[in-house]
Amino acid sequence: MSEIHEKHHAKRATGIGDPQCFKGEAGKAKFKVGSKVRVRDLPDVFYTRCQLYTRGAIATVTELVYESPPPEDEAWDNVDRSEWFYSLVFRQKDLWPEYPDAYANDTVETELPEFWLEPA
Amino acid sequence: MAEKHKPAPMVDEVSEFEVLEIAVRELAIEKGLFSAEDHRRWTEYMHTLGPLPAARLVAKAWLDPEFKKLAVKDGVKASLDVDIDWIGSMPTNFGTPSDYCNLRVMEDTPKLKHVVVCTLCSCYPRPILGQSPEWYRTPNYRRRIVRWPRQVLSEFGLQLPEDVEIRVVDSNQKSRFIVLPVRPEGTEGWTEDQLAEIVTRDCLIGVAVPKPGQTSNDPRPVHPAKNPYKH
Repeated sequence: MSEIHEKHHAKRATGIGDPQCFKGEAGKAKFKVGSKVRVRDLPDVFYTRCQLYTRGAIATVTELVYESPPPEDEAWDNVDRSEWFYSLVFRQKDLWPEYPDAYANDTVETELPEFWLEPA
Repeated sequence: MAEKHKPAPMVDEVSEFEVLEIAVRELAIEKGLFSAEDHRRWTEYMHTLGPLPAARLVAKAWLDPEFKKLAVKDGVKASLDVDIDWIGSMPTNFGTPSDYCNLRVMEDTPKLKHVVVCTLCSCYPRPILGQSPEWYRTPNYRRRIVRWPRQVLSEFGLQLPEDVEIRVVDSNQKSRFIVLPVRPEGTEGWTEDQLAEIVTRDCLIGVAVPKPGQTSNDPRPVHPAKNPYKH
């Protein structure tokens, strides 16, 4: 019991912060600021924080925000593998077919871990 | 007749999530992780938090370009200047489990307006803004702002020209967001205190823009009824 507790990431994060405690664990980032990416349409089993409205859509990376285990793992207390998280900007027109042309500049910004993304 | 009458419940039944929270809390108390009184005291403390530190952060950023750069680059570090310690605060010393500690300050420009939502649940930068408003947590706001932002913003009384890009920020992971609005005209020469007063909670979420003379404690508009009831 105590051994599990020592390893729990809440302990590792104390005084450092979460996601800060995973810094340096993700290795080399696959994408950079300005990269065009497509959100993969993966099955989500049990838990995800990847919104349905982003699936299959193309976005631009605006920032590499932090490293962390993806929520799909972390929800099950699995923090063994961290990934880069990217801030992504989508054009509203690419997400909602009925979005008015007059507002073609409007966008949505949200964050996703690397495994959801492929080069576009 | 009277015995058969069943009054409707005064409030909705508790949701599954509320039942889950109660179950986990009671187990934690039973296991001795914390006491019922600890829980009450922390709940009471959480409700003392409010948006004033974030308003001050914005006012500082308007006055000091170097601080603005820091705020946009590292919101957690900039928060220390308004006495908010995302990492070192009790009870956990690593951010509360649902708030994490990655604050991003989204800078508006005359051609770019941010508005924050959490479409998946109701993530909100509570250490620096306090508890979220009720409407922020409703499915109505969460599902509509991301798809019809202009319509929803106009319901809040905010209409923006076509050439202003509206950027909906969907807070779905470990970052929490506040908006750094454009400093309005008519505030030249103002002090930090004066500026902080017009940066209300709704300006920090992005459903309103700061205006000179509009503070969170000023009198609300009152209009006489057009067809008043004749007593």
